Amino acid sequence: MLYKKKWPLLVFLVPGFVMMLVFLYLPFINNIRGSLYDMTSVVQMPGQEFKFIGLENYKNLFIDPKIRIAIINSFKMMGLTIVFQIGTALLLAILVDSIKHGQQFFRIVYFFPIVISATAIGLIFKLFYNYNGGMLNQLLEHFGKEPINWLAPSIAFVMISIPTLWSYVGFYFVILLTGINGISDEMYEAAAIDGCSKFKQVFYITLPLLRGVICTCVTLGVTGALKVFDLPWAIVPKGAPQGVTHFLGTYMYEQTFTISNFDYGSTIALLIVIFGVVVSWIVSRIIRPDKNLEYGGAE
Amino acid sequence: MSNMKKVLVMLLSIVLVFSFFTACGKEGTPAGNKVDTKDKDNKKTDDKDVTDKQNPVTLITVSMYGGTDPNAENYQRHNAEFMADYSYVTIEDDSQSADQDWKTKIAADFAVGNEPDVIQYFTDANASDVLAADKFVSIDEIKAEYPDYAGDILASALKAASNPDGVSRAVPTTGYWEGLFCNKDLFDKFNLELPTDWDKMLTAIDTFKANNIVPIAVSLNNVPHYWVEFLMLSAAGPDGYSVVPTQAPADWAKGLDMFKTLRDLGAFPVDTDTIDNDLAGELFKNKEAAMQLDGSWYAGGIPDQDNTVLVSFPVIPGGKAQAGAMVGGISSGFYITKKAWNDPDKRDAAVKFVMAHTSKEAITDYWGGNGQAAAAVDPLSTMTPLGVSGLEYSSAATSISSPTDARISQEAYNTLIAGIVDVSTGAKSSTDLLNEVLAINAK
Repeated sequence: MLYKKKWPLLVFLVPGFVMMLVFLYLPFINNIRGSLYDMTSVVQMPGQEFKFIGLENYKNLFIDPKIRIAIINSFKMMGLTIVFQIGTALLLAILVDSIKHGQQFFRIVYFFPIVISATAIGLIFKLFYNYNGGMLNQLLEHFGKEPINWLAPSIAFVMISIPTLWSYVGFYFVILLTGINGISDEMYEAAAIDGCSKFKQVFYITLPLLRGVICTCVTLGVTGALKVFDLPWAIVPKGAPQGVTHFLGTYMYEQTFTISNFDYGSTIALLIVIFGVVVSWIVSRIIRPDKNLEYGGAE
Repeated sequence: MSNMKKVLVMLLSIVLVFSFFTACGKEGTPAGNKVDTKDKDNKKTDDKDVTDKQNPVTLITVSMYGGTDPNAENYQRHNAEFMADYSYVTIEDDSQSADQDWKTKIAADFAVGNEPDVIQYFTDANASDVLAADKFVSIDEIKAEYPDYAGDILASALKAASNPDGVSRAVPTTGYWEGLFCNKDLFDKFNLELPTDWDKMLTAIDTFKANNIVPIAVSLNNVPHYWVEFLMLSAAGPDGYSVVPTQAPADWAKGLDMFKTLRDLGAFPVDTDTIDNDLAGELFKNKEAAMQLDGSWYAGGIPDQDNTVLVSFPVIPGGKAQAGAMVGGISSGFYITKKAWNDPDKRDAAVKFVMAHTSKEAITDYWGGNGQAAAAVDPLSTMTPLGVSGLEYSSAATSISSPTDARISQEAYNTLIAGIVDVSTGAKSSTDLLNEVLAINAK
């Protein structure tokens, strides 16, 4: 026992716990409660009673075509996040790590989009995609081409995904680069002496030793994909065009704050949490971040 | 020598304390003097005398004259004048454009007891959440103590601004109308007649479409509200439009079906599903679009006041409305909350604040020739040709109907608006959408 007196620990733990309780867990429980009532306003006015509707909102989840689109898009975004966001970040991190000069420069360049707010990036891309006078159509017109509706239903999801994925590559890039920097140079030197090429070093040294970091990135990526909201909403709100760009976050926001269907919005919020927990658990089971440690322990 | 020092220090301290008192005592005097010399109105001078005797009051106010609202500047100017006239009052104002997020915030503030002292807010079904909290003072109660309250307001305007339960709580400033704005120069350029009937509307759509002009500037994803109102009014007539049925009326459905007809004709912008309402408005203002359906508040922001005209919405084929049927009304006003009324210091300040913003002079400013004025204002000599066109349009209206959101719940109305893109593409039938909306309203 390092400390005989335990009460000082409580002094440090209780404020944090109280904050979490008041601002996270109680609202979360209230949110679940709200999903079981027909909420006619966002908050219950004094003397106002909400009608109990039980699981009606949960049944609606199975027949609502737009929530289906939102779920599919969110899962598509998870896949795209892993492949393009974390994949690109990993590639960039490995490349930047292998250069001798200018590492700091590339760190700044790739990390820069993270410091720009998603709303600003959304606005920039909204102006790029604008049909009348947007940057892309101005370029097309300059080359004598007809303007394109860049947010037409057939391509809107791709056009929304591009800035959503691009804007967060730098975040994972920095995490992965830090992870790579933590790998001892002696391992690479020993491998090089044994005749291992740079390409093979990536597969046999870098990637296995980055397993834990990659797992963290994948967990953050897939749970982050479930919470995608600000950037798509800034470019095209309400899942426009025709609801094809809805994500769980945007659909929850539309139901709650645009349509004022507060109870259904609460239901979708709970669904997002459930998906987040389940997906994180599945990812940790598949990737097994501590697999290397298990082997190390066996040896 | 030491005693001398002590006496000197005490003397200086006393002088310092007195100088503080003198400075504090002079607070507000410049304003008072200013009024004595400049203001010839005796009543105001009396108010000034009272001003110096009042306790300092901080008035929390909220209005819809914020953001990009054309009246934001007028509102702030009247606030500044009010604070100059009543130097003991400090206004903490949080005005914003009235959108759904703002309404939700206001409802939350009222629910948790964080309501302002004075608020300019909706008077119709849009205010149902806030009215449920029962935190407003009725005009009758205020008039019992302040007989001049709402004195400049027309009786008809006061009645139009009464709440759904028939009680008048809000003092209105202006009303509005909605109408079809047309770029007359574009119609002249292509030898087209203004769309006073549906055939002329279809001819105009075809011609503009063929000449790469957007016939109708509208964002179906953002603000299709005006089209929803006029198409349903045109199809059902004022009587059928003003009822709140439980099943989708065939007339309403017929009106909404016109969205698909117009879309298929190519009447809307290519990006009508994604464009913002503001950007759609820019198409109209930049002469890239020929027509736009909007409210009276839109007129002030149109740069070409000479070549833009208001036209009565043409009756759709088989529609029951008469030519000249118009959507409009008075749907907002200044409320005083019970919180301010029950505070002895704030009561008088709140009443004076509302009276300052609802005087004939203030209403003339807010009206500015657009929409309806809640007081008997004098015609403006500075009215533009578009202003005159708007006045003629609204004066010639054969019927004035308030929009649907004044009669049905917010959730129901928002569901209606959210479903318009699907109706326009044919992904959802108008009857299904209306039944869904009316079922929500009946909850």
